[in-house]
Amino acid sequence: MPTDPGLEFRNVSRAFGAVRALRGVSFGVVRGEVHGLIGENGAGKSTLLKILAGIVQPDAGEIHWRGERLHLGSPREALERGIGMVYQEMLCFENLSVAGNIFAGREITRRGRLAHAEMRARTRALLDELHLPISPDAPAESLSAAYRQLVQVARALAFDCEILVLDEPTTSLTDAETDHLFAVLEKLKARGTTLLYVSHRLPEVFRLCDRITVLRDGAYVETCERRSVTPDHIVRAMVGRDLPPRAPRASQVADRTAPPALAVDGLGRRPWFTNVSLTVNAGEIVGLFGLVGSGRSEFLETIFGLYRMEAGRVRVAGREIQAASPRDAIRAGIVLVPEERQRQGLLFNLTVRHNLVLPEQTARGGVRVRAAEERRTALALVDTWRIKTAGVEIPPDALSGGNQQKVVVAKWLATSPTVILLDEPTKGVDVGAKFEIHEIIRREAARGAGCLVASSDLPEVLALADRIVVMREGQIQGQVAGDGATEEAVMRLATHEGAA
Amino acid sequence: MKKLLRIREFSTVVILLLEILFFTWWLWPDGSRTHPFFNASNFLLILKYSSIYGIAAVGAAIVIISGGIDLAPGAVMALAGVVGAELFVVRDWGLGPAMTMGVLVGLASGLLTSALIVVVRLPPFIATLGVMGITRGIAFIITEGQYFDVSSKLVGGWRPLGLPADWVAPIILIALAAVFQMLMTAFQWGRAVFSVGGNETAALFSGIAVGRVKTSVYVIAGLLAATSGVVLALVQGQGKADLATGYELDIIASSVVGGASLSGGRGSVVGAVLGTLIFGVLRNALPQIPGATFYDRLIVGLVVIVIVVVDQLLLKKRP
Repeated sequence: MPTDPGLEFRNVSRAFGAVRALRGVSFGVVRGEVHGLIGENGAGKSTLLKILAGIVQPDAGEIHWRGERLHLGSPREALERGIGMVYQEMLCFENLSVAGNIFAGREITRRGRLAHAEMRARTRALLDELHLPISPDAPAESLSAAYRQLVQVARALAFDCEILVLDEPTTSLTDAETDHLFAVLEKLKARGTTLLYVSHRLPEVFRLCDRITVLRDGAYVETCERRSVTPDHIVRAMVGRDLPPRAPRASQVADRTAPPALAVDGLGRRPWFTNVSLTVNAGEIVGLFGLVGSGRSEFLETIFGLYRMEAGRVRVAGREIQAASPRDAIRAGIVLVPEERQRQGLLFNLTVRHNLVLPEQTARGGVRVRAAEERRTALALVDTWRIKTAGVEIPPDALSGGNQQKVVVAKWLATSPTVILLDEPTKGVDVGAKFEIHEIIRREAARGAGCLVASSDLPEVLALADRIVVMREGQIQGQVAGDGATEEAVMRLATHEGAA
Repeated sequence: MKKLLRIREFSTVVILLLEILFFTWWLWPDGSRTHPFFNASNFLLILKYSSIYGIAAVGAAIVIISGGIDLAPGAVMALAGVVGAELFVVRDWGLGPAMTMGVLVGLASGLLTSALIVVVRLPPFIATLGVMGITRGIAFIITEGQYFDVSSKLVGGWRPLGLPADWVAPIILIALAAVFQMLMTAFQWGRAVFSVGGNETAALFSGIAVGRVKTSVYVIAGLLAATSGVVLALVQGQGKADLATGYELDIIASSVVGGASLSGGRGSVVGAVLGTLIFGVLRNALPQIPGATFYDRLIVGLVVIVIVVVDQLLLKKRP
């Protein structure tokens, strides 16, 4: 146990209004270790990180680093004390170059003028060190999600940080990219950097971390040595109960004569995808697996009427539809639960109630706002979905990430759709919420909806789907089902050895 | 949300009352002369002129709540007044049809604005800047630097429905403000406007017809600006191309003082109307203070900043 005092949290508490996000959390991080921090949504991880980043100040408690108390009044102070952050929601200046991003806010200057050459040179050195094959002058908007994430790591390093905090850094990364990131992190560890790693993905935490701290409902639960615990133990510590075994799902609705819930025939939209055909039967969950850039999100968004289709046709329960807008799609019985809840899912200026009833209302095309009725609907949704919220008359940013995600899923399902398209429905949520969202997808399928779940989380797709369609470079590469649905089979299709 | 809005409008009312109290005290007359500020006819005067701003501010508030901005209302007011006056004075139309045509100028400018924003996808600032130039320009072309004398043709004064002319603008304002306050708070359309202003992408994904909502918003703003332009022409007794110059900024400021957020998604129609009253009182009372003549613009600028800053501080306190 810690002999050399590293990073210590002592009785850290913080409340937001009536919500006690952190209650007297104390634990230590040894210098030079990789420390995993996990917990369900609402466990207080984000708040703890925000305190460490100087964004939020604790109501009580202290943080010490190497025996010295830290006063973190602003993100700048945190950076100056050597605490670097890599955020889950990527903070990236898309309009700036890689070098511009790395030095944003603390540019190197010579006599008041920007020292472009020096910043470029230092950026190049950093990128070389991380083995990133990108140019310092590349505009950030041209980078993939993975490289943007790695640029964030580089940014933290440029500041010679002693503590690097990573909040769900692999959410939008593929396996290969994750390997790359981990290799970089191992190197940092060897250099003596202390890493605090926050993730919902247990395999990653087990692969990377020396010790793991579990938070639950804003309180400290325990810190374990990785070598002496099992993932099941950690899951139990996170949720405070055993997860019920997954209910075996009655396999899909037997009525083979009925037209499929969704039939897509030769759909094309250059440059993203061409000649994509697939069917989803009523009551079936089909996984759509593809890596970032495979065209799967664009495919879903085209069916949903966000883009005009160039070729092909789409039928819902046998009826051909021509959705020119999401409004048309929703009215035809198709909903899309989008990937980015902050940007595409939620209205932060309105209340949880408004958010929850919005798609259902626009589909129905009502004229008056009926507050009492909306309230009843919203409360019922909060109840069925077990959304943790202090009522429905508060804005959604008062909710934790996982609960916001539940609001996003719930609002579209409230329309009782025939076809449910889900794009990364569990991105950035923890085990417990993920489990609940899976249950809800299964329940919707049991109701008779056809579900098409796009995900780059392979274990999720394997666990959830009856059938998996694999997409790569804008084309369907094949599908696997039943015993043939193994991780290897899917990855083979998704990466190179196309069976097509 | 409703409670918050109520609080927000409440604070605007408080500011207005404090302002009236202050000027009543400051301008208290010697002896038994009537109070120069606190008297019925002066209040009617304030109300009359504020209403002209207010009618347009209702539209401006809706545009701002939808996440947009409208720089054209001043110019649209001028053009609407000019068109109405030209038809009435030069072409000898009846007052009703002429002024209706004036109002329809707003429909045209609103449709043009929304086409530029929704179809051509120009940013609202640029689109309305352009429309401002176009409408003001057409007004000058029509008048050729002259003005149309409406008052001399309105023999015996203008008494619509037997009402004193001074009451017309306030009555129109109150009616329109009530209608749009209702539409914004109790109808799906208003909800859609708030949604588009709060997060356009999420609104689109939720099935809201974003283009249609924006079109409706700019058409309404155009119609309301044109209405206030026609009223202005009647109140002033003339149609002139340089009427209402610079009004757009006062109108936007009124909406913001009344609680509208320029980043969209927040604000209210009633707040904007109260905002125009705050400015109306300032414009009326400041010139009456001896020696303040050269200070009134400075003071108006400071008032905008102070009110918005105080509001932001209060907003942080609210849960």
